[in-house]
Amino acid sequence: MARELDLNMPVIENISPLHFDHKLGFYGDYENKDDILKLTEVKELSIFQIAKFKKSSVDINQIIFNNLKLPTKSLTVTSDNIARILWLGPDTWLIVSRDKKLIEDIHNIFNENDFAVTDISQSRAVIEISGSKSKDVLKKGSPLNFNNDMFKPNNCANTTYNGINIIIDFISEKPDCFNLFALRSFGGSFYHSITDSCLEYGYEAI
Amino acid sequence: MLEIKCPYCGKRSQNEFSYGGDATVKRPTLGEEISTEDWDNFVYFRDNPRGKHTELWHHVSGCRQWFKASRDTATHEIFDTCKMNEAFNE
Ligand SMILES: [Zn+2]
Repeated sequence: MARELDLNMPVIENISPLHFDHKLGFYGDYENKDDILKLTEVKELSIFQIAKFKKSSVDINQIIFNNLKLPTKSLTVTSDNIARILWLGPDTWLIVSRDKKLIEDIHNIFNENDFAVTDISQSRAVIEISGSKSKDVLKKGSPLNFNNDMFKPNNCANTTYNGINIIIDFISEKPDCFNLFALRSFGGSFYHSITDSCLEYGYEAI
Repeated sequence: MLEIKCPYCGKRSQNEFSYGGDATVKRPTLGEEISTEDWDNFVYFRDNPRGKHTELWHHVSGCRQWFKASRDTATHEIFDTCKMNEAFNE
């Protein structure tokens, strides 16, 4: 017999992508160490993908969004304490911010004749990892070259982590801090992939 | 690990890329009369040369751009890569 739809079922709203995976506490080999990794889920970010149409003649260098220019150099980020703009590919960017009011600005500055603007805020799971061993954790699953300062703060890259497509945003160093974006549906498996790699160094989920 | 130089991102690991086949194949002109056999050849049949080969690659887990590579199919040596609207330097 077909199950009837229960109209009295509670509506679950605003469950973050890693709600069922990210449990606070200390994990792995953390005892007697004063330099363990810190891991947190970054929630309620506004994330917009901006792509300039091929036919558009807009000069990107003339566009200022929230006092920031769009990075035209590959793998770079422009940022202030309100927003970060990541270069994703030629004429493609990701705007990341905690400020919900910026959304109105986005539609004013990136008009629909020149740009495709897509709100992907709900479709990404975001992990922030910080600590002196964060690069070692990333190296375990990603083929990106983290040696010889090739990848510096305010660099970003689309790459893979154990086969999962991710974006790495290098926020700051000493201690190293990264934001990692994966598709929401890969969030759980990406989270466990990262935390497995963290175990030998010890980590605190905060 | 094989490294491929994306014209946009620089040298990256092969596992961020996917192969796109012979870059010299031309699509039949739109609107032109074409035989089933020619269409079949365009869609399915490729030469399989040993040696230097001009081919398409897609930086699918990176900047998502298509580009051209000149590669030796026997040794896997990559001589050069370039954007779609560019020519090789070699
Ligand atoms: Zn690339």
